[in-house]
Order: sequence, then C-alpha cells, then structure tokens
Amino acid sequence: MTLAISVGLLVAGGVYLVVQRGMVRITFGFVLLGHAVNLLLVSGGGAFRREAPLMSETDASVAADPLPQAFVLTAIVIAFAITVYMLTLAGVGKRDDDTRGGPAVSGEKDEEKA
Amino acid sequence: MVLPLVLAALTALALAAPLLDRFLGRSTGWPLAAAFLGLAALVATRAPEVLSGAGAPSFDAPWMPAVGVGFHLRLDGLALLFVSLVLVVGALVMAYSASYFSHGRHGDFYLLMTLFAAAMFGLVLADDVVLLFVFWEITTICSFFLIGRSGLSASRPAVRTLILTAAGGLALLTAVVLMWVTTGTTRLSVILEHSAWTDDPAFATAVAVLVILAAFTKSAQFPFHYWLPDAMAASTPVSAYLHAAAMVKAGIYLLMRFSPALADHAVWQTALIGFGLVTAVLGALFALQRHDLKELLAYSTVSQLGFLVAIIGVGTPAAMAAATAHTLAHALFKATLFMLVGVVDREAGSRDIRKLTGLRRVMPVTATLTGLAALSMAGVPPLLGFVSKESMFGAFLDAPGPGWVGPVVGGVAVVGAILTFAYSFRLVYGAFGGPTEQSHLREPKAAFLFPAAVASVAGLVLGLVVPLLNPLVDRVVTDTWGLVHDSDLALWHGFSTALGMSVVVLGAGTVLFLRRAWLDRVLDRSLFPVRGTEVFERLYRGTIALGARVGDLTRSDSPAQHLAMPFVLLAVLASVALSAGLAVGDFPAPVSRPMDWVLVALIAASVLGAVVARSRLAALGSIGVGGFTVALWFFTLGAPDVGLTQLLVEVLTVVVAVLVLRRLPRSFHPTGRVRRAAAAVLAIVAGGVAALATYTMTGRRELSPAADYFLTEAENETGGTNVVNTILVDFRALDTLGELTVLGIAGLVIVAVLNANGLLPNRQPTAIHRFAGSPIDSPTDATILFRTVGRWLAPLVILLSAYLLLRGHYEPGGGFISALVGGAGFALAYLSAPSSDRAPIRWPYIALIASGVGVAVLTGVAGYLEGSFLRPVHLDIPLPWGGEYHFTSALVFDVGVYLAVIGVVVTALNRLGGDSGPPGGMPRSRGASRSGRSAGKETR
Repeated sequence: MTLAISVGLLVAGGVYLVVQRGMVRITFGFVLLGHAVNLLLVSGGGAFRREAPLMSETDASVAADPLPQAFVLTAIVIAFAITVYMLTLAGVGKRDDDTRGGPAVSGEKDEEKA
Repeated sequence: MVLPLVLAALTALALAAPLLDRFLGRSTGWPLAAAFLGLAALVATRAPEVLSGAGAPSFDAPWMPAVGVGFHLRLDGLALLFVSLVLVVGALVMAYSASYFSHGRHGDFYLLMTLFAAAMFGLVLADDVVLLFVFWEITTICSFFLIGRSGLSASRPAVRTLILTAAGGLALLTAVVLMWVTTGTTRLSVILEHSAWTDDPAFATAVAVLVILAAFTKSAQFPFHYWLPDAMAASTPVSAYLHAAAMVKAGIYLLMRFSPALADHAVWQTALIGFGLVTAVLGALFALQRHDLKELLAYSTVSQLGFLVAIIGVGTPAAMAAATAHTLAHALFKATLFMLVGVVDREAGSRDIRKLTGLRRVMPVTATLTGLAALSMAGVPPLLGFVSKESMFGAFLDAPGPGWVGPVVGGVAVVGAILTFAYSFRLVYGAFGGPTEQSHLREPKAAFLFPAAVASVAGLVLGLVVPLLNPLVDRVVTDTWGLVHDSDLALWHGFSTALGMSVVVLGAGTVLFLRRAWLDRVLDRSLFPVRGTEVFERLYRGTIALGARVGDLTRSDSPAQHLAMPFVLLAVLASVALSAGLAVGDFPAPVSRPMDWVLVALIAASVLGAVVARSRLAALGSIGVGGFTVALWFFTLGAPDVGLTQLLVEVLTVVVAVLVLRRLPRSFHPTGRVRRAAAAVLAIVAGGVAALATYTMTGRRELSPAADYFLTEAENETGGTNVVNTILVDFRALDTLGELTVLGIAGLVIVAVLNANGLLPNRQPTAIHRFAGSPIDSPTDATILFRTVGRWLAPLVILLSAYLLLRGHYEPGGGFISALVGGAGFALAYLSAPSSDRAPIRWPYIALIASGVGVAVLTGVAGYLEGSFLRPVHLDIPLPWGGEYHFTSALVFDVGVYLAVIGVVVTALNRLGGDSGPPGGMPRSRGASRSGRSAGKETR
C-alpha cells in the first residue's frame, strides 16, 4: 500500500513535470519517473520480506528478492547517465533550455497566452 | 547454357563499360556494338531449335529454393523476337552513340545502357514471375537514370517517369503475388497453363486488370501516355533504344506473354482494343501538332504502341502474326528515325521543323534514309511497315464481339493510319523539303549514318522478302495463341478488304499532306483540356500536401506534446483494463509497516515541492530530497546495495545539475493556467492508475523460483555472499556488460553533443555583489574549507571506494557503488577548486570509459577458459605467508564497471563544468579545437 502510494506520487509528479516547458523540468520529471519505476520493480519482488539478501548475515528464508534489486541497481546507474545527458541538452542551445515549439505549432500558443 | 552465358556477358559488359570508356571515350560504343552482335549470333545458334518447334532452350538454377522461386530462363519464339530487338537494335544504337556523343567520357551512359540491355534480355527470357518482376523493375530504374543523366531540366521528367512506371511495377508485383498464391508456383510457363484462369473468373479479371495497368504504364498507353514525350529529355540514343525499341516494348511483351491465358477475357479484349485505338488516334493527332521532331516521334511511338496494344487485344492468330510483324517493323523504323533526327539535330543545330528546311539538298543520304523509314511508318509498299499494317487491318476486321465491332475497329484503325501517314510526311517534309537555307551544312560522317542506314534499309529488304519472317511469326503465334498457325505474310495477297483499307489510307493520307496548311490551322489548338504532366504534378503535390496535413496532427517541436501521448495512452489502456475487471491475489504477508508512512510523506513533500517550485534551484532541492527518500525506501525494503547506489547517484545528479543550472535563468518559464490544469489532470490520472496498478498487480505472491534459486545457490555457485552483486557480475554479467556499454555510450554522446554545440555561458549570480570585499566574494577564499577538507578527504574517499570494490562480492559494495563513491570524491575535488580553469580532473575520461568496457569484455573472453563468454574464472592463489587468496574474475569484471562509471562521472564534471575550451583531460584531438571554437562563439 505504502509502496504503491509512493509510486503513484512519483508518477504524478513526473508526468506533471515532463509536460511542462523547459528541458530542466522535463529532466526532473524523468528522474521522478525513474524512481517510480524502480520502486515498482522492487515491489514486484514483494515488500513483505525486507531482510537484505546478504547470505553472511541473513537467512535465505527471510531475505528479500535479490533479482529486482539487481535490475534496479543497474537501472539507477543508467538513469543517472541519461539524466546527465538530458541535463547536457538543457545546457546547450541559444538562450536557455526553453522547449516551446516553433510558430508552426498550433494550440500550444493559445495555452501560453492563457 | 547459352542463355545465362549471354546474360552474364551483358552484365559483365555493363561493368566493363566504364573501364573501356576510360581508354576509348565515346568510341566505347563500337566494341559494345560488336559484343552485342556477337551475343546475338550466340543466341541465333539456338534459333533453329526454337523455330522448328523442337522445344524451347531453357536454363534452371535454384534462387530461393525455400519458397520455390527459381532462376528460370526460357527461350521460346516470343522471347526470340524480343531478344533479337534488344540485341540487334541495341548494337545499332551503341554504334550510333559512338558518333553521337561529344568526345570525352560517357562511362555512366554505356554502363546503364548495357545494364538495361541485360535487364531487358532477362525480362523477356524469365520463366519465373518473380524474376520477371525483378528485371522489369531494373529496366525502370535504368530508364530513370538514363533520363536523369541529361542534366537538370531532365530531373523532373525522370522522376515523373520513374513514379509512373514504378506504379505500374507495383501493379505487376500484385499480379505476381496473386498468381503465386492462386497457382502455387512462380513458374511462368506453368502459371499460364493453370486451370485457375478459367475456373476462377475473379482471379483472371484481377490479374488481367493488373497486367494491363503494368503494361499500359510501361508502353505509354492513354491515359499514361504523357510520360513518353516527357522522357524525350533524355539523349537521342536513349530515346532510340529505350523509348522506341526496347523498354516501351516491355509492356507489349507482357501483353503478348499473357495472351494465352487472357485473350478470351472480355475485360482484356475491351480494354486493349479500346484504349489501344484511342491511344493510336490521339497519339497521331498529337504528333501532327508537334514541331519538335523528337516530340513528334515520341507521340508517333505512343500511337504505334496503341496499334500494337489494340491488335493484341483482338487476339486471333492473324492478329498475333500482325503484332509480331509490326513490333519488328516499328522497332526498325522508329529507331532509325530517332537516330536520324539526332543526326539532323547534331548537324543543323535544331529539331524544330519551323527552323529546318530544305536539308535534302545538303544532306541527301540522310534525307533518303529518313524517307525510307518514314515510308515504312506510313505503311507504303513495299516496305515492312506496309506489310505489318495491312496484316493489322485484316486482323482488326475480325475483332471479337458482335458483328459491328470488326468494321468499327477497322475504321478507327484506318483513321489512325491516315493520321500516321500524314505525320510521317510532315516529318520528312518538315526537315528536308522546301527551300534550302542552311547551304553550308554537309552530310555527316558515314560512321554516324551507318547504324541508321542498316535499320532503314532492313525495313525495305525485309518488306521485299517478308515471307522469310513466317517461321518466326509462326512460333510467336504458337506461343501467344497456343496452337500452331501458318502465317502468310506477303506483299501481295490479292484483292482483299485490307488492301482496300491500305488504298484508302494512302489516298486520304496524301490529301491530308497536300492540305497541310489547312490541317495545321485546324489542329492549332489544344485538343485536350489538361496536360498529362500537369495532372501528374497536381496529384503529386496533392499527395505530398495530404501527407503533410496528416503529419501536422502530431508535428510539433514541443516535447510536451510527444511526451504526453504515452501517458494518455497508458491511462486509456488502464481504464479499459480496470473496467474489464482484475483478478487480484492476496499478499502472502503484510506489505506495509508503520514507518513507511514517513517515507510516503517525505515523497509527497518532495514531489509537491518540485511541482510548485518556480526557481530551478528550489526544484532541484526537492528532487534531491525525493531521491534520498527513495534511497531510504530501498534500505527499508532490504536492498542496501540499491539504496547506496541511489544515494550516491543522487549526490552526483545534484552536482551535475548545479553545473548546468548556473547557466540557466533562475526561474522556470511561466506556463499558462490551461496547460497547468491539463498537466495536473493527466498527472493525477496517471499517478492514480500507477498506484492502483502497483497495489493490485505486484508483490501478491511468494518469492519466485528464480529468487529462491539465487538466495540458496548463489554462495555455492560463486563464493559470493552478496547475492545482488553475484547476480550482477556472475549470473547476469552479460546484462551488466550491456548496461555498461549503454553507460559508456551515454558518456560519449555527451562529449559529442558538447563538441558540436557550445554550452550556454555561466550566469553571474547577482546576490554576490552584496558581499563584495568579503571572503565570500573571492573564489579562492570561499573554497578554503572545501579545499582543506578535500585535501585529506580525497585519498580517503579513493581508499574507501577501492575497499568497497574489493568487498562487493560479499558485503554491500561492488563496481557501481565504489565507482560512485570515487565519483563523489572527484565531485568534491571539482567543487573545491577556486575556478573552473583549475577544477578539471586531468584524466582521459574517454579512455577511462573505453578501458572500462574493454576490461569487462576481456574478462568475458577469459570466461572461455571455463567454457563460455563471461563465465567467472576462479583461482586459488597461494599466498607467500601461507593460506590462499580466492581470486574470481568477477572482481576484474567489476573493475571494468568501476572504470566505465568513473569515466562517465568525470566526463560530466569536466565537460559540463568548464567555462571555456576543453579540459586538459581530453586527449589533444579534433574535439579540442572544435569546442574551443564554440567557446569563443559564446563570449562574442
């Protein structure tokens, strides 16, 4: 329940940010979405066993599922690389990290005025 | 073996042509002509066998045996007719090209022409429908390039021709697939005898329509006729070969080839006779309107092809015999005329009959040869054109259908022939008649006239000895009609209706020629409200515009529109799934603990903070809190390795983000209320769905068998007690290697992006002026704490990271975590530097990334010692002081991970942190000067 609420909160925040204007906010949105998916993966292993899968300290009968943990560990590092890449994109350009579309885009402009 | 040999020889000649051209220039045409004739002679050695009806030489080789498509060639009478056109007319045109072109290199022309000949040869011999289609397409492509090579003005005609003929090609492809599916074979000779043509009327009609479409586009039949005059942008040899003798005859060939199966089909007969005659008459009328000799010939070709299509539609043995004779006659006189018009164009500098006059006095030989060919075209005895036209007249009268059809069809054909007569004379008179103005002109060299002379005289000689053609005609009729037939082509058949029609044509044609001034006046208007090329262009532009309009629905530079789509879709899918109902299992044990709610609250606070923040830095702070909370979550859930990784990544993310944020405005761009509301709705729906899905669909079962296996067996299998780490470096090392590579590529991409685009300049914080004069204003003084601490902390951090790396197999740690700790050390060193110039870590970061991936791969290769890629190698090394050290190559693999991650971190710090130029760690390379230049741009 708590894990699911956390995932929901992170997804909501992430989705809100990625549809905003500006590369930095989009990047932050992706960071939150990354967190959400990582928690989801761990949740897939089950949140009812919460002992670290370190066999020198923990008995196999109570240890948490190690497989999603391995997935998430690499996912975090890759998400980091992607985050850095997106931040790089935010840092290059003409003026700032604006992502507003060109004049050909209809609809968007009206929203900006509102 | 003759058939594949000739095909291979033609292909080899095509490839050799550019080489020959290197030494011979335009004279390459002569050896090619000789080779064509040699190959024709080679094919002729099998001709007696074909003509006697003893059988068709064939060649079979497997091509795609799995689907039953074979490389089948078959030389029957029909193929022989077209092969002789392709090779003999090809030889003449090649010889002609050797004089036509200017001195210099024409390698591409000779290559394409020979390649085209090879494709045409293959097309008429192919006994497999797939093979037939492939050759058909090659002729289309060669035609495109041969037209297009004539310069800029030819580019649109080339494209128009390509699109139209390729569209016909698609129709043929559809027909091929239909036939293949219906008959179960791709063998053409088998397909044509299949019972489906009579048993399955829908199939027969569909194939008939498709084949007609393919043939009509290729052979320029109304309403697709316009491409042929359009294609006159090509050079004269191309027109003489492709657009008179060979390529446009591919459509005729196709119709004749499918006649045995379709000749009795009403759609086939109606379409062929109807459109053929319309094309014949319209083409002739258009030809009478033209002043450009080449354009006149193009319309004349359209018209003559119309006659051929119509006569094939009649489909009787006599019609097929007439079609054979006329195909031959037309190839001879039309190739001649094209070549001679080219001669006139070369010598007199114009092809316009309003500018040319009286050339007969200065170029009598050219005039005679042109006259001879034009007489053949006009159907004047005793030329071959007369024989073929009169046999067509005879056949038209027997057109299938009710009794009135024959006379009507014959009548229309006579009208077409009268117009043909008129434009034939218009052509000759236009260029060679009247007073001589250009008296300085001379007859061209004999070599230039020779190829045209051969074809022109052949039209006369063959007319005189026309019965000699009967064996070939008989074979073609047998192949296209199905039964043996005795043809009786002859100059004189006695008094018949056909003779009467010929007389009418000659008489009326002469009258029309004599009253040419009146005729010109009558025809000096547009006969048609639209031009084909204009219709084509309108359709073309309309299609492109339609595509743009469809694309506009989703075309946007704004990432938000694209990014919103997947979430909208997910929300929709989720609501569908929810409304369908879910089977929800039970949790094996309680999954929530009271302390969790603290984490939930922290996450809620950080998400809220990130969402409402207007300042970039504030948002980053909130994001950081969220990251740390997620790390805590991992610790709580029993994932210390993951938690550590998350913690370190969060630190580094914040550091890197700060390096970028200082180049950007303080506040975010304002967004409108509508957009915020829409985003909020989407966010709440997506968040709700995600929470619901997570709650109902995850963790509601006992541990998976895989998890059980890892927990119980990991230590025995690998010697490691940290199960997560053993999964990363022992069990699923290939995944990790892949992820490592992605990481490395991300690092390289960052470098590439920054080499191509300069970073935005740093912004000076305004608030700092308040502290002017104090230590806070001085970068050196302000960092003193950092530097002092950093000096003794840095070695410790590096030691710590090495320790974490070594123990990773047993305790929390490992390559990722230790590298991130090391990276955090670098970040510390970086931030403590007084200026960005002095900050960079002078390490070759690209080499670091590369060595990381390299070490990992090499470790993987070492795994072959144990049997497979990436299998860990275990060694017990005796220590000098007693005991043993248990070595596993998984540790070396982890070193690779370490190096790659460190490389990416250092890349980010160095390249995003610098103010100008590349950091010293970058090897002196092209990239250095490029980013130096972009940095210079920023300061301007």
